[in-house]
Amino acid sequence: MTKITLHSIDKSYGEVQVVKNLNLEIFDNEFLVFLGPSGCGKTTTMRMIAGLEHPTQGTIAFDGKRINELGPQERDVAMVFQNYGLYPHMTVEQNIGYPLKLRKVPTAEYEERVLRAAKRVQMHDLLHRFPRELSGGQRQRVALARSIVRKPQVFLMDEPLSNLDAKLRVIARAQIKHLSEELQVTTIYVTHDQVEAMTLATRVAVMSEGVIRQIGTPEEIYNNPLDSFVASFIGSPAMNLFDVSTEASGLVILQNQNTNIMAPAQGDWTMGFRCEDVQLCDPNAASLKTEVFTFELLGDCTMATAMVDGKLLTVKAAKDCRMQSGDALHIKIDPQHVYWFDYQTGKRWLQI
Amino acid sequence: MIKRIPVYVWLLTPALLFVAAMALFPLVYSLVLSFREWKLAQTDIPGQWVGFDNYWYLLSDDPELIESLWPTLIFVGFDVVLTLLVALCAALLLQKPSPISSFSRILLILPFVMSPALIGISFRFFLNPEFGVLQFLLSFLFPALEGRIWLADRWLSMTAVIASDIWHWAPYMTLVILGGLASIPKETQEAAQIDGATNWQVFKDITFPQLKPVLGIVLVLKTVFALKAFDTIFTISNGGPGTSTQTLAYFVYHTAFHYYDLGYAAAAAYLLTALLMVCSFFYLRLVFKK
Amino acid sequence: MTGAVTSIPGYQPTLKSRLWSMTQQTLILLLISSIVLPILWMCITAFKWPRDVYSLNSAFWFEPTLTNMVTVFQHPWNLGSKIINSIAVASGAVALAIPMATLAAYAFSRYEFRFKKTIFLTVIASQFLPGAVVVLPYFLMFKELGLLDTRSALILINLSIVLPYAIWMIKGFIDAVPIEIEESALVDGAPRWRVLLEIVVPAAIPGIITAAIFSFTLTWNEFLFALILTKQDALTLPIGLIGFRTDRGDLWELMAAGGILITAPMFILSLMVHRQFIGSLTAGSVR
Repeated sequence: MTKITLHSIDKSYGEVQVVKNLNLEIFDNEFLVFLGPSGCGKTTTMRMIAGLEHPTQGTIAFDGKRINELGPQERDVAMVFQNYGLYPHMTVEQNIGYPLKLRKVPTAEYEERVLRAAKRVQMHDLLHRFPRELSGGQRQRVALARSIVRKPQVFLMDEPLSNLDAKLRVIARAQIKHLSEELQVTTIYVTHDQVEAMTLATRVAVMSEGVIRQIGTPEEIYNNPLDSFVASFIGSPAMNLFDVSTEASGLVILQNQNTNIMAPAQGDWTMGFRCEDVQLCDPNAASLKTEVFTFELLGDCTMATAMVDGKLLTVKAAKDCRMQSGDALHIKIDPQHVYWFDYQTGKRWLQI
Repeated sequence: MIKRIPVYVWLLTPALLFVAAMALFPLVYSLVLSFREWKLAQTDIPGQWVGFDNYWYLLSDDPELIESLWPTLIFVGFDVVLTLLVALCAALLLQKPSPISSFSRILLILPFVMSPALIGISFRFFLNPEFGVLQFLLSFLFPALEGRIWLADRWLSMTAVIASDIWHWAPYMTLVILGGLASIPKETQEAAQIDGATNWQVFKDITFPQLKPVLGIVLVLKTVFALKAFDTIFTISNGGPGTSTQTLAYFVYHTAFHYYDLGYAAAAAYLLTALLMVCSFFYLRLVFKK
Repeated sequence: MTGAVTSIPGYQPTLKSRLWSMTQQTLILLLISSIVLPILWMCITAFKWPRDVYSLNSAFWFEPTLTNMVTVFQHPWNLGSKIINSIAVASGAVALAIPMATLAAYAFSRYEFRFKKTIFLTVIASQFLPGAVVVLPYFLMFKELGLLDTRSALILINLSIVLPYAIWMIKGFIDAVPIEIEESALVDGAPRWRVLLEIVVPAAIPGIITAAIFSFTLTWNEFLFALILTKQDALTLPIGLIGFRTDRGDLWELMAAGGILITAPMFILSLMVHRQFIGSLTAGSVR
C-alpha cells in the first residue's frame, strides 16, 4: 500500500552520469515497468529505490516520508535479482524463511508462512533441496517465494526472466502477473524485453540514457509514442522508421518514389509506420514499389522485408501468403497510421 | 612405434621424471636411513641396521623430542589461528574498493617476497634489549615488559618467532581471502540486506558460510607451512633459549647437523613427514572436492 | 555494500557509523604501518654509522652514510660473489623449471590419461615434504658425487622445490586459455608443438611470467638447502646474511645493508607484476 515518489534524482559514478533529473510518482498497487536498453539507468533507479545505491542528488520518499538515509534493511522492500541471489549454502526452505528468521518470527508461524509461500510457487515438495540442485526455473520460483513470504511495501524485480529459456519465460511471466494481482502490492519491474513490459505492466516507463522518455499505459506507449526512440523500442518487429524528404507539395519521397502520402509540412521528416499497418497491394495503388529481400514464415502470419534506402522495411502479411527473395513487392502504407517525428529531435509531431 | 605413444607422454616426461626423482629419492632414502644407525661424526659409512629402534627411541624415550613437541604445538597452534584471524580481519577491512585499499593490496605482497631468514634477523634486531626499536616501543606501551630480554625469555622468544611468521604469511593469506570474498556473488549479500539483515548478520549468515571453503584451504596450507617452518626459527632464536622454540622441524635439523646422528634424524624427519602427509591429505581433498 | 552513502550532500551520518568508519580507517592505517615501518627501519639502519645503530638516541636524526653498502662487498663478507651465486642459481632453476613446467602443465590441462589425477596430486603433494627430509639424502648424495658447495647442486635441488608450484600455477593459466583457439589452429593445419609454442604460450604468457617470478623469488630466498649444501664457494645471499653474526656480536648495520640488497630486487620484481601475482596466488590456492 505504498506510493513512491522520486524527486529530481541524479546518480553519477564519478564523471559518468547514469540517471539525470528523474521525477516519478509510482502509485499504490500499480505494476510499473522500467523498460529500456542496457545502460539506460533502469536498474540503477530501481536499486536506489531498494537502498542498494544512494542518489547523488534528489529525494526518494515512501508515502511522503523521505527515505534516502535508510538502508535496505529498513525500507521493507522485497527484491528478486536477475541471478536470483539465492543463498547457496541454505536449503530452499531456509532461503525462503530467512527474512522471517531475521525478524524472529515464532516457529509455528514461520513454518506456516514458508509453506504457504512455497506452495504459491509450487516448490513445496522441494523444500530440502539446495539451490545448486535446482533448475533455473525452480531457482527463480524460490527467489519469488522468498520475496512474498513477508508482506513488503514494494516488490522489486530486476530482469527476473532474462535467464530463463523462452518457453519457461512465458510460464513464469504468467505466474508473476497472477501473483502480483493476488497480493496487491506495488510492484516495480525492470526489463529490456518489451513483450514483458507490454504484458505485465499497468504503466510503462521507457528509459534511455538516464532519462524517462515516456511513461504511460502499454496501450498509450504502443499507439501514441512521444518520440522516435520509444516508437522504435516498442513493438516487435520494430516500427519501420525512415528519414524522408518531401516534394514541394508535401508529398513524401521514399526511395525516390512518390508515396502519395502527405507529410504535415514540407521538409525533412522521420516517418514511422508499423508492419501491420502496411499492406500488399496492386502496383497502381502502391505507395512504394520495391522487391522482396527476405520472406519469413511465422506460423500465424508471414513477414516480408525489403531493403529501402539502406534499411529494412517489414511488412506483415497473411499466413497463406508466399513470396520469394527478388519478387516484386508493392505495398500501401496506411496514411492514418503513420507517425511523424521531427527530423532533428525525434520528437513526435502531434496535431494541435 | 613412436607414433603410438601419445603426445602427452613426451610433454610430461622430463618434468615428471624430475619431480618423481627429486621427490621419491629422498623419501625412499630417508626411510631406509631411518632404519639404520649412523653417526656421521664417527664414521663415514652408513652404520648397521637397527630396524625400528630409532623410531622406538624417538617416540618413547628421547627427552629432546618430547621437549620439541610442546613448542611445535604452541607454535603451530597460535601461528595458524592468529594468522588466519589477522588475515580475515584485514581482508574484511580492505574489501571495499578505495584508493587506500588498492595501495594496501600492493603492499601486501611485500612481506611474502622477503626472505624469512631476513625477517627473522630483523626481528632479532628490533628486539635487541639495548637498541631494538620494537623492544623500546613495547616496553613503553606495556611497562611490564620493561627490562625483559625477549630472546632470553621462553615465552617472549616464542612470541617473537610466531610474530615474525605471522608478519611473513598473513599478508599473503589476506590476498587469498580477498580473492575468496570477491568470488562471493554480491547478490547474495544484497538479498540478505533486503531481507532485513544487519551488516553483522550478513557476515555471519551469508558471507562467512560462503567463505568457508577458502578458509579451510588457507587453514590447512598454513598448518603445513607452520610445521615446516625453519628459516625464521633458525635466525631469530636458533631454537632457544634452550629448546623452548625448538619445533620438530628444527629438531630434525639439529639432530642431523649438530649431533650428526643421521639415522635418528631421518626417523624424526619421517615422523614430521607423516604429520605433513596427513595435513596434505586434507588439503588435497578440500581443493579437489569437485 | 550500500555504496558511498556519505558522499551525498545533505546526508547526516549517524554518530555510530562515523565512529565505525573512523575505527576502520585507523585499523587500516595500523595494518599499513605494520608492514611499512619494519621495512623502513631496516632501510634506515643500513645507512647509519655503527654508533647510531647501537643506540636509540640517534634513531631518526643521524648522519647518513654509504659505507655499509660498500663494506659488505669487501672481504670477508664478499656479498658481491654471493649476489652472483644467487642470481646464477635462481636464474638457472627458473630457466630449467619453466619450460618443463609449461610442458607438464599443458599435458595436465589438455589431455586425459590414466592415473592423471594421481600423478597430478603427487606432483602437488611434493610441496609438502619438509625440507629436512629432502636435504639429508641430497646432502649425502652430493657429497658422494663431489657436488657439495657447487651452484649446480643448488640449482638441482631448487628445481625440485619450484617445479610443483610452477606446474600448478601455469596449469591454471593454461586452463583459462579457451580451447577454441587451439582447435582453430589444429584445423588450420598446425602440428601440436606449434600450437603450443605459437598459440598457447603467448596466450598464457602473463601467467608464465608470474610463475617464473614466483619461482625466482622462492629460490632467491631459499635458506635451508643453501645452508646445508654450501660452504664457501656457492654461498647465496641469505646465507651471506648469517655471516654477519660474528663472535663479537651481530653487525646489524651490515646486515641491514645486505638485507636491502637481497630484498630490493624482489620488491621491484613483484611490484612489476603485482596484478597478476595477486590474481594467480589467490586463484591457485582457491581452486
